[in-house]
Amino acid sequence: MADPAPSRPAEDKSLYTIRGLTKIYGEGSTAVHALRGIDLELYKSDMVVLLGASGSGKSTFLNIVGGLDEATDGQVFFEGRELTALATSELTEYRRNSVSFVFQFYNLVASLTARENVALITEIADDPMTPEEALALVGLEKRIDHFPSQLSGGEQQRVAIARAIAKRPKVMFCDEPTGALDSQTGVIVLDALDQINRELGTTTLLITHNVVIADMADRLLRFADGSLIEDRDNPDRVAPSKLRW
Amino acid sequence: MVILPGWLGALDRKLLRDIWRLRSQAFAISLVIAAGIGMVVMSFGMIRSLEATRDAYYDRYRFADIFASARRFPERLIDDVQSLDGVSIAEGRLTSGATLDIPGIAEPITTRIHSLPRAGMPRVNALVLRSGRRPNPARSDEVLASEKFADAARIGLGDTIEALLYGKKQRLRVVGTVLSPEYVYAIGPGQIFPDNRRFGVLWMGEEHLAAALDSTNAYNELLIRLERGAVGQDVIRRVDNMLERYGGRGAIPRSDQISDRFLENELAQLGQITAILPPIFLGVAAFLINMVLSRLVESEREILGLLAAFGYRSRVIMWHYAKLAMVLSLPGLVLGLMLGSWMGRGLAGIYQEFFVFPFLTYRAGSDVLLISCLITIIVVLMGAAQTVRRIGKLKAAEAMRPPVPPNYSGGIAQLIGKFKRLDEPTRIILRGLVRRPLRSILGSLGVAAALGLYVTSAGSMDNVGMMTDLLFNQANRADVNVSFAEPRDERVLFELERLPGVMRVEPVRYITATLSAGHRSRSESLTGMKPYGDLNRLVDIDHGLVQPPVKGLMLSTVLSKQLAVEPGDQVEVEITEGRRPRLALPVRRILKSPIGNPAYVDFDSLRPIMRETPLTSGAYLSVDPDKTDELYRKLKAMPQVAGFSQRAAALNGIDETVGETMGIVTLFNTAFSALIVFGVVYNNARISLAERARDLVSLRVLGYRRQEVSYILLGELALIVIAGLPFGSLFGYYLSKYLAASMSGDLFVMPFSLSVGTVALAILLVLATAALSALFVSSRLHRLDLVSVLKTRE
Repeated sequence: MADPAPSRPAEDKSLYTIRGLTKIYGEGSTAVHALRGIDLELYKSDMVVLLGASGSGKSTFLNIVGGLDEATDGQVFFEGRELTALATSELTEYRRNSVSFVFQFYNLVASLTARENVALITEIADDPMTPEEALALVGLEKRIDHFPSQLSGGEQQRVAIARAIAKRPKVMFCDEPTGALDSQTGVIVLDALDQINRELGTTTLLITHNVVIADMADRLLRFADGSLIEDRDNPDRVAPSKLRW
Repeated sequence: MVILPGWLGALDRKLLRDIWRLRSQAFAISLVIAAGIGMVVMSFGMIRSLEATRDAYYDRYRFADIFASARRFPERLIDDVQSLDGVSIAEGRLTSGATLDIPGIAEPITTRIHSLPRAGMPRVNALVLRSGRRPNPARSDEVLASEKFADAARIGLGDTIEALLYGKKQRLRVVGTVLSPEYVYAIGPGQIFPDNRRFGVLWMGEEHLAAALDSTNAYNELLIRLERGAVGQDVIRRVDNMLERYGGRGAIPRSDQISDRFLENELAQLGQITAILPPIFLGVAAFLINMVLSRLVESEREILGLLAAFGYRSRVIMWHYAKLAMVLSLPGLVLGLMLGSWMGRGLAGIYQEFFVFPFLTYRAGSDVLLISCLITIIVVLMGAAQTVRRIGKLKAAEAMRPPVPPNYSGGIAQLIGKFKRLDEPTRIILRGLVRRPLRSILGSLGVAAALGLYVTSAGSMDNVGMMTDLLFNQANRADVNVSFAEPRDERVLFELERLPGVMRVEPVRYITATLSAGHRSRSESLTGMKPYGDLNRLVDIDHGLVQPPVKGLMLSTVLSKQLAVEPGDQVEVEITEGRRPRLALPVRRILKSPIGNPAYVDFDSLRPIMRETPLTSGAYLSVDPDKTDELYRKLKAMPQVAGFSQRAAALNGIDETVGETMGIVTLFNTAFSALIVFGVVYNNARISLAERARDLVSLRVLGYRRQEVSYILLGELALIVIAGLPFGSLFGYYLSKYLAASMSGDLFVMPFSLSVGTVALAILLVLATAALSALFVSSRLHRLDLVSVLKTRE
């Protein structure tokens, strides 16, 4: 079971309220319980790291909270609105306006330059940064007109982060953002995420296999077999540059 | 999952599962291959069947090798001809035109009557007795009728019909129906399509026909069967000499006999179409295979590397993919073979409407099937070659390395960045197109090929429509044509004018003649026409109305080519009737005429040439439609009238037979073309989807709406399709034109007239198919799992 929920500031800092979140794949004897009734509160501007082995349920959790997948049971409230009751098209609007994603394999469009990949999002956002601003935030102002094929893995991932941040989302979901990178490059990418979280106050949920990364978070959630087995605050958040693995 | 048998190797299992995964694309490819192979099997099989049937029929029923006609020659001449070197059988007969009055048909019916030898049935051009019996030689009224005519005119065995034969009324009783190798394609004078209700052939005992024609112990036609290896031209020359003093009109070889010419022409056309259309279909199929296979191999780079790393020889891996391509096309081959045989049988049925054989069975023959299999294998290997060769060059390590993002820097892709006004989705579409220019171009060309095929197929109806318009609205505008048994002086015109309902009469004169230039010569009839006539006019396919030349000849394009003459050249004209004058006439003009190879002269210039009072062979009448029944009654009783044709009836006949049957053939071709459109467009769409899926789903995750991602997927498809439209229209235009030209022979010239409506309809069809394919793939796009795509590496 999860440890007792850490004490938290006032209710108005709450962003997500999650009640009895359950996800079952398949039916009957072949049913797989990916999530077994998660109860959780997530707060604004937190950097949250989700840890757990493969199949522990952390990705399923992220996908449902991110509006990509549907829950079998339970409820997810985002700013008081029930996500689990939304239609597919409303989930699209949720993803479009409120949240952002950074993927393990970057998922950049190869036929667009760095600037254009960011513009892909700024074009459909209400109050975006310019692509140049977003790319400057991740330190890529000099690589702005390069195509993905002309960028290194770390640079590609930073473009992906710039793309995610450019629309000023409330939440950023990062699924193994450093999984495909060496440690040195990984640190640069994490640095970008850390900086954005600090400067813009963007709530960040970061999935990783790498326990070390938990040290840069405000809060750690550990999943095992579909349940939350650890939920603790980290008052001594360290800068990514201090991380070594 | 499908359970596969245990003996199947791992690679073969992969192959079968790949096929299953690619089934919808395999289906589209199969349809295109099936269309191509179906056409090959149908056309080759049909050509085979027609040739085999014709040869057997001609041989068994002793179809004549040489046909000669004269005014009248004595019976004993037959023995002289028989003794000529190379002649196997010589037989004389009497032939006459007649008009029939058949109960239930208002207008007089034109027939040809041949005599039956005294001994019984003809030895040359033997008859196939289909029902009833032979006429009793003792009875003067018994006749045989051609089967199709009897059926169409509803003449039963034992029925009596009234005939006007050589000016005398005669009652004839049909006692049997027959087929003759001479009338496989039975058309009346001046027609190009059979109209069995209004043109028939009768056979009656020689003595009785001779009595009716006042022509005892004499014939007017000579039929010759040659011995194997005999030289026809030698016999023709001798026969011409022998018949000259009896008013010989020039003997012709079998290849100039009208029915055989049409049959040959049809076979040639079938061959032409087979040479043009199936290669296009199969080319498209090869292209589709190339598309699908190259995409598959690209997505299986790691597997390829893995196999190589495990020690599979590249030969084995290459063979694996070649095999995949072949198995992918197997259903198409099987479907094509079945479809082709089925359509072949259907086509044989249609042919029997036009070409009358005692039997016509469609048989493809095992070699046709074998050739089809071979063609399919070649097509598949052509389609697979490029990809398979690439596999051979791929290094194991290279294949195992994670793919780098495809490079879009440089060239036009970079240039697209300069257009600041473009939104990013549009940039994705444009860069996608220019990154693989060859594939985009091939995709567009595939659409163009399909569109072109459709335009060509559907356009053939436009050409026939134009032909009918030229013949019946522009050239022959008379309501009724009559022809006389013998040329008449102009008084007959006044007689016709006085008939009820006749509003206008125009004469026409036909004279048989041999035209020669240098060593080339042709036996043709010279047509004498009044200038500025209104009912029968000369129409040039390209230049419209023209007038007969005042002095000299106007030759049809075909005839001018046969004689190798141009305007200004002299042609030797040897008239083979009357006083048989010989003279040289200059060619004044070449006429591109829709039918046949006529030569025209001015009607009035004939009098000094023929040294006779003006004679007329027939007349064109315009008739008050309210008085036709009365007019027909009078015409049936006019002894001079030997032939009769009615414009409305002829048009109806064309609409019925040609419209319907051409309609079916066109429908087949059109359906095939629609299949191609679908195959090309759908495959393009599927491959775009496969290549773009990851990008598109990423965009969906990032908050793009369904229609916004559909725009990227379908925008590319739309551009490929739209780029194909102008090329397809042009291709269709030229292919139609080429087909019309290749269908034109010495029998008729097919005018080329593609209507804008046909092209517009074809474009609509392509767009509709594209929309349908788009619907398919976008529904697949929306079903893609948002989560799964993010986890997998490309």
